[in-house]
Amino acid sequence: MADADTDRLAARRPLSPHLTIFKPILTMTMSIAHRITGAGLYVGMALLTLFLLGAAIGGGAFSAVSWIASGFVGNLIILMIVWAIFHHLLGGVRHALWDRGLYMDPQGRELLAQGTLVGGILLTLLAFIFKTLAS
Amino acid sequence: MTVTTRFKSGRTGRGEAYVSDHSGSPHARFMRLTSYALIPLGALSAWWILGLAGKTLEGVRAEVGRPLPALVLLAFGVIGMIHARLGMDEIIEDYVHDEALKARALLANTWASRAIAALWVVAILIIAAPK
Repeated sequence: MADADTDRLAARRPLSPHLTIFKPILTMTMSIAHRITGAGLYVGMALLTLFLLGAAIGGGAFSAVSWIASGFVGNLIILMIVWAIFHHLLGGVRHALWDRGLYMDPQGRELLAQGTLVGGILLTLLAFIFKTLAS
Repeated sequence: MTVTTRFKSGRTGRGEAYVSDHSGSPHARFMRLTSYALIPLGALSAWWILGLAGKTLEGVRAEVGRPLPALVLLAFGVIGMIHARLGMDEIIEDYVHDEALKARALLANTWASRAIAALWVVAILIIAAPK
């Protein structure tokens, strides 16, 4: 078969994941959330680096980057970064358990998916509450 | 990743067969090793990053300038960006199918992650260095 035909057929072949075909179940959603929080933390680290560089230089440089961690947008960014760290961390623990063959049955993996979702939000809330109490 | 082999395949011709570049198992191993380190580093860093919200310049410098937060955040930034680079490599390899664009995206990821880690370290060292 000619290369063009092969390429055309390859392009028409569906790629996994079939987001438009699968029913959105919790384990799949948490898998996607793991990747999104990971990519989000990449951007978050870039923003935090800018913020810390501004703080290191001081003066006008800090005024230029202070939006990253203060005001409505800044508080939201920091809260999203903290939640993403906790969510991604628990998602990683889930993968570490699966690496060892644990919690791979239907009930186990559902429990881990729920634990990731609830645990990430819970840890963020706890950190926020204790931080508010400590300051 | 797969790379085109230098061998001439009897079936598909020169360089048309795809073989492993043997980067798969180091990738998986480094992903896991960095993730174990990032469990304590990530949890502690999240706590101190949360403390940056709404701080003045002096507040930020006092927060990051203490020895323990500075050391933990340094390690978190460096190990985290190694982990992030590996993860972003996976994302690029999953979604970018054009070979030339994929090579450029992987190169951009390599240097972006190194730049973020380096500037992160420089910023914290300037803030935390004894005056």
